[in-house]
Amino acid sequence: MTQPLVAIRSVSKTFGEFQALKQVSLDVSAGEVLCLIGASGSGKTTLLRCINQLTPVDSGGIWLDGELLGLREEGGRLHRLTERQIARQRLKTGMVFQRFNLFPHKTALENITEGPVQVQGRDRQEVRSEAMELLARVGLTAKADAYASQLSGGQQQRVAIARALAMKPMLMLFDEPTSALDPELVGEVLSVMKELARSGMTMLVVTHELGFAREVADRVVYMDHGAIVESGSSRDVLGAPREARTQAFLSAVI
Amino acid sequence: MSNAATLAGGFPDLSKLPVARQAHWMRWFTAAAIVAVLLTIGRAFANGQIEWSYVSRFLTAPVILQGIVNTMVMAVLAMALGIFLGIVVAIMRLSPNPVLKSVALGYTWLFRGTPLILQLLLWFNIALVFPTIGIPGLWSARAVDIMTPFLSALLGLGINQGAYTSEVMRAGMLSVDAGQYEAAKAIGMGRLRALRRIILPQAMRVVIPPLGNEFIGMVKATSLASVIQYPELLHSAENIYYANSRVIELLIVAGLWYLLVVSILTPLQMLLERRFARGFSQTAR
Amino acid sequence: MRRISISAGLAALAAITTAHAAELPDAIKQAGVLRLTVNSTYAPMEYRDPATNQLVGLDIDLANELAKRLNVKIVWSETPFAELIPSLQTKRADFIISGISDRSSRRETADFIDYLTTGPQFFVLTDNAAKAAIDLCGKKVGTTRSTSFPVEIEKWSKQNCEASGKPAIQYVPGENSIDVRNQLKQGRIDAAVQGSETLPYAQQQEVGKYRVVGEPFAVGYQGIMFRKDDAALREVVTEHLAAMIADGSYKSILDKYGLGTHAVAQPLMNAATQ
Repeated sequence: MTQPLVAIRSVSKTFGEFQALKQVSLDVSAGEVLCLIGASGSGKTTLLRCINQLTPVDSGGIWLDGELLGLREEGGRLHRLTERQIARQRLKTGMVFQRFNLFPHKTALENITEGPVQVQGRDRQEVRSEAMELLARVGLTAKADAYASQLSGGQQQRVAIARALAMKPMLMLFDEPTSALDPELVGEVLSVMKELARSGMTMLVVTHELGFAREVADRVVYMDHGAIVESGSSRDVLGAPREARTQAFLSAVI
Repeated sequence: MSNAATLAGGFPDLSKLPVARQAHWMRWFTAAAIVAVLLTIGRAFANGQIEWSYVSRFLTAPVILQGIVNTMVMAVLAMALGIFLGIVVAIMRLSPNPVLKSVALGYTWLFRGTPLILQLLLWFNIALVFPTIGIPGLWSARAVDIMTPFLSALLGLGINQGAYTSEVMRAGMLSVDAGQYEAAKAIGMGRLRALRRIILPQAMRVVIPPLGNEFIGMVKATSLASVIQYPELLHSAENIYYANSRVIELLIVAGLWYLLVVSILTPLQMLLERRFARGFSQTAR
Repeated sequence: MRRISISAGLAALAAITTAHAAELPDAIKQAGVLRLTVNSTYAPMEYRDPATNQLVGLDIDLANELAKRLNVKIVWSETPFAELIPSLQTKRADFIISGISDRSSRRETADFIDYLTTGPQFFVLTDNAAKAAIDLCGKKVGTTRSTSFPVEIEKWSKQNCEASGKPAIQYVPGENSIDVRNQLKQGRIDAAVQGSETLPYAQQQEVGKYRVVGEPFAVGYQGIMFRKDDAALREVVTEHLAAMIADGSYKSILDKYGLGTHAVAQPLMNAATQ
C-alpha cells in the first residue's frame, strides 16, 4: 500500500482551557477528496490549520509527503523548525479561506502572481501567462485587472482558489469556502471545486455543503468535540451513519 | 382657536398653516459678540506699540525667506527620518523576539518621555560626553565637527518623531485584517516579506492621514531648533530683533509665515485623507 | 574719543539736574514699590546663586541700595534678555538695570544713565595657543547672539584682521553666555567674547580654565535704561547714584564683585559712542 500523502498521528491542540483536538489521527491519500463535517468547535478547522501550520500542534505529528511538519526529531527530542523552514513547508499546501483574504491593494492577476514571483522567484512573464490560464480555469479572464472591492464574493473566492493553485501545491485545503457567500454565489465556487477534484487534486474541505460532499467527496469525516467520530464514504456517512452523534448532527442540519 | 378647520375628534387641520421662519436670536447675538471681540483685539493690535512698517519691511527679507526654506527642508527630512524609524520600531515592537520588542519599548519610552527641546540640546552638546565619535582603529572625528546644528536638529527632531510615528504605524499595522497575514503565510511568505508586501502597504492607507497631521506639527516643532543655532525661521526673526529691538514686529512676521505654511498644508492633508479613505469604504459584496 | 563722550555726558547731566532737586514720581511714591525686571543669566551682574537660588548680583545690590535711599521696596521679575526693552516700553518695569549696554540704536525710545564701563573681551581655554587678539584672525569665535557683541566682533575683525590681509574671524552664535562657554569647552569654537565685567566671575567659578586675550576691544558703558518721557524718575535715580559714588558705597559694591576697575567717576547720560 502506498504511503498516504498526509499522515496525522495523535495530534492534540489546546487553546487555554479548551481542548480543540484530542489525539486525532487521520490519513489522506493522494488524489483523494476528503470532506470534514461537524458542528462549530468540533475541531475540523483547527485540524485543517494544523496541516499548513497556521496553528502549531501541541503534541503529535503530521507528515506531508513523508516530511514531518514543523518539527525536527533529534536525539529523542523534538525541536521546532525555524520560521523560514516552516514557510518553505507551506509551499506544498494551498489554502482557501472562508473570508477569501484577497490582497485588496492588488488586482486579481497580481494576487495570483504574487506568490510565484515573490516567494518562488519565478520568471514574471511565465507566471503571468500561467496566471491568465488559471483565471480562465476559474472563469474570470475578464476580471484580471479588477480589485477585490470590484468583485462579488463568489468571484473573489474563485480568484482565491486560483491564487492558491498558482503555487502548484500538492494538497489544497478549503476552510468553509462557501460559508461567507450569498446563496446564489455558492454554486459558481462549488463548480470550480468540482472541476478541481475531477482533475485529481488532493483536497481537504471543511464544509457545511453536504450536497457537495455527497457529489464529490471520496470520504467524509465527521468530527465532534475534537475527535473523529465517524469516517467513511459519503454514501455511508451521510446516507447511513452508524454513530448516534453523526445521526443527530445530520438530522439537525438537513 | 384659529382659522384652521377642525377635523374629527376636535383636532384642528394644520396642513394649511405656513411655518414661520425661526429667528435664531441667540445665534445673531453670539455672532455679534464674537465680531465685537475680534474687532477689539484687532484695534488693540492696530493701535498698540507695534510699528507695522517693520512688519511689512521684514516680511520678505532675504534672511526670513531663507529661514522658511530651512524650516521646510528640516521638516521634510526630519519627518522622513521619523517615518523610517517609526516603521522599523513598529515592526520590532510586533516581533515575537523579546529582545527586539524590549528595545522598541525602551526607545519609545525614552524619546516620548523627555521634552523635545531637551533632546535637541543633548544632541547638540553631545561632545561633553563623547568628545570624539568613531570606530576604534578605523576612523574617528571630533563630535563637534559632526554634530552641526543641522545634524543635531535632524537627529533630535527625527528620532523624537520616530517614537510617536511608531505608535501610529503600530496601530496601522494592527488595523490590517489578521486574515491578510494568514493569506500571506499560506502562500509561503515569511514574516518580513509579508510585512513588506502585504501588511505595510495596507497599513499606509490608514496611517498616511495622521502622518500628514504630524507633519504639520513638525513644521512648527522645527522652531525649537533655534536654540541650537539651526537658522530656521524663528532663529532668523530673532536675529533681526536682537539687532533692532523690534521684538513683537518680527514675531508677527514669523507668525504670519508659519500660518501661511500651515494654511497651505491643511487642505492638502484633508485631500490626502479623502483620497486614502476612498479605498476603505467599499466592502466585499 | 572717550574724553569727548564723558564731557558730553556730564554736560547733558548738568543740564537736567541744575533745575531742581528731583522727586520720585507720584505713582511710585504712593505704591512705595519699584518694579524692576532682570535677565538673571548674567553673572556677576544678575544671576541666581547656585547654592541658595537667591537673585544676586552687582545690579541687584546697586538697585537695593538705591531703593533704600528712595524709601521704596523693589518687586523683582525675570525675563529673557530680548524682553528687557519691551518690558520698559510696556511699563512692566520702571527702569532697567540689567547689564544692558548703552547703545545709540537703543536710544530711540529710551535714555541711559551709564554706571559701569564695559567692553567685549576675547577669552580662550587656558591651554589655547592664542597669545594676542590678532592670533584669533581666521578662527571661530562665539558669543551670545542676542547681544551687540556679534557686530563688535565683525567690526574688530574688519579693522584688525582683514585690514592686515589676514582671514576674517568666523562668528559662531550662541544662545547665552553659558551656552557659549559650553561650546568653547567642547571645541566648537576657538575663542569666545563676553562683556569684560562677566569674566572675573567665570574665572572664579572654574579656576584656571579660561584666559583672557588682550584688552577689551571696544569701550562702552552699561546703563540704567529709562523711558524718554520719564525724566523725573531718571533725575531722582541719577542724583542718588551720584551720592553713592561720592560716599564710596558704589565703589564697595563694585569691589565686592571684583569690578572696581570698571567704575565711572560719575553717572553719565547716553555717553556711549556705539
